[in-house]
Amino acid sequence: MPKRSLNQGNNEARKIEQLNQAVDSMLARKDGKAPKIAAAIEPLVRIAAELRNLPNASFKARLKSEFEGKKKMATITVPAPAAVQPVAAPRLTFKDAAKAIEFYKHALGAKEISRFETPMGIPHAEITIGESTILLTEEWPEGGRFSAETIGQSPVWISLQVADVDSFVDHAAKAGMTVVRPPADQFYGRRDATLTDPFGYTWAFNTLKEEMSVEEMHRRMKNLTTGPEGGRMPQPKSGGVSPVPRGFRMVTPYLVAEDGFSLLEFVKQAFAAEEMMKAETATGVHGEVRIGDSMLMVGGGKAGQKFPATLHPNALHVYVKDADAVYKNALAAGATLIDEPRDQEYGERSATVKDAAGNFWYIATHKGESYMPEGLHNVNPYLHPLRAEPLIGFLKRAFDAQEIAKYASPDGVVHHAQVRIGDSVVEMGEAHGKYEPMPAMFYLYVPDCDALYRRALAAGAKSLHEPKDQPYGDRSAAVTDSFGNIWYVATHVKDV
Amino acid sequence: MRALKKEADERLLIEAAQQDPARFADLYECHFERVYAYIVRRVGDRTETEDLTSEVFHHALANLRRFEWRGIPFVAWLFRIAANLIADRWQRAGREVADGSELEAAVGPAEIEACDRRATIFRLVELLPVEQKRVLVLRFVEEKSIKEVAREIGKTEGAVKQLQFRGLTTLRARMEGADA
Repeated sequence: MPKRSLNQGNNEARKIEQLNQAVDSMLARKDGKAPKIAAAIEPLVRIAAELRNLPNASFKARLKSEFEGKKKMATITVPAPAAVQPVAAPRLTFKDAAKAIEFYKHALGAKEISRFETPMGIPHAEITIGESTILLTEEWPEGGRFSAETIGQSPVWISLQVADVDSFVDHAAKAGMTVVRPPADQFYGRRDATLTDPFGYTWAFNTLKEEMSVEEMHRRMKNLTTGPEGGRMPQPKSGGVSPVPRGFRMVTPYLVAEDGFSLLEFVKQAFAAEEMMKAETATGVHGEVRIGDSMLMVGGGKAGQKFPATLHPNALHVYVKDADAVYKNALAAGATLIDEPRDQEYGERSATVKDAAGNFWYIATHKGESYMPEGLHNVNPYLHPLRAEPLIGFLKRAFDAQEIAKYASPDGVVHHAQVRIGDSVVEMGEAHGKYEPMPAMFYLYVPDCDALYRRALAAGAKSLHEPKDQPYGDRSAAVTDSFGNIWYVATHVKDV
Repeated sequence: MRALKKEADERLLIEAAQQDPARFADLYECHFERVYAYIVRRVGDRTETEDLTSEVFHHALANLRRFEWRGIPFVAWLFRIAANLIADRWQRAGREVADGSELEAAVGPAEIEACDRRATIFRLVELLPVEQKRVLVLRFVEEKSIKEVAREIGKTEGAVKQLQFRGLTTLRARMEGADA
């Protein structure tokens, strides 16, 4: 069951439902009192009961306008409009403004300009940093004024241009600011750093290194994400052979187990996979099998011997003609039951099993003209990252992936997404419940392994090994993304 | 310290408004929710609560010069005006008010605190993300069903329930923050 249903299987969904039922019965009662309900949601229902008396915002505004129109009794001199230039200054709210003023003087070299202090606190103060004014005040929750400390964050950052960002950051950090991002040269011509102060505000310090136009920034950003060739993929270096070997697509899942021989047998038995290649190696076995239109690489060590590499179980969405039958085959071949076959709300009948090596298999039959949805293949990799958005971003930058579909709930959880990489589709759903984050392993056939390797690094991947010619006719490199997935990037250069 | 600070802020506002009635809007802005909360609990009916709230602030403005700072919170003064206006209505409507003791008790510190709490909830609603706020208003002020809310804002019922949950959870968390 690769896709998460919105209404079941997790605790929060149950709470949401319980709360709504309690709210319904509360609203049905004339006295507005909360009925007897579960302790976990009781405080929420109590707040809901209070909200029945929430004043109408338009009434509040209307009444206010009646008071704003009152004539002033005192006369004040209003300067001629032309004499006043508009000046903007942020006004920051603190629990303790005096403490903040002292801190900014010390950490940022601020100067105190004025302080309106009453015996009970500081309603208004003014400091300058360089030529910029910053106003300070203390919080007053009853008046609707909260400090960043109270709210827990501020959506507004303060940007500060300084002569030497490195020494400035150094000093500020010693004075008690926290470095979120140390100084680094940026493509937009600045060297900048991000720090937070003890009062919940974030500061971006920067030093201008090079003035440039917005167009130039775009050009440099493009170079950053497409490698030194400036956005053009170089010509394939394949000596007359197709860079993608016959039968393969761009993305091939690569399953590795401690006991590679057993895994290979399992895939053959459960899915009637056709063995295209099997080679015994020093540490075990490497095999290539075909399920319908899709190739899989399957390998690993020998039973009873410790396999030298880290294992990365995959999750695969496999479309078959009869999910129930294949599901039974898989169990007979030694898989563990995760979810029995059932009709899913998204138009397929599917079951989930786990093989002995820990790979998840979503065995599905699509309900429609074909047992396989249009655009998908017999085997489709299914990723379970903690967060889908950053991974999609990486796949776009590194491999030119295109987002085909994305289903997110209002809280931003991505339950299901599909991206296309070349001629392959990779699916994903954010990890949840028994579907824990699963970094997987893939073989990626591309026209130019060297160029894509550099591009993947520019997009944030780490190198596992640089491109090199392999005895089996591929030139390949390996990288890992920040989500732990391993990508073998390869170009087929000669048939061996 | 914080209570004293609050007093100082309030005193500044009152003195400003006594000098210049146009500044009364600031005082109104600070106390609207509490006065409304106080009245709605006694009166219940929305229209009547709005009428009375309006009367309280107009009365307060007209008599502001007579307010003297003696350490009694300004809001207690507003509550007393409200209590009297409510009592007037009850008498006019032929309802009984046994004696003044109930009204005196009604503006005690516990009552002020209860109104503060309710007023804080009302204010915090303003700070919620737009969609959460919209769902809460439709659901609790306009008393619409999940289905009606979903249709009105063009979202699924599941999404509305989730926004309702999120909104109330956020309010609760921020209430705890405000209490701390």
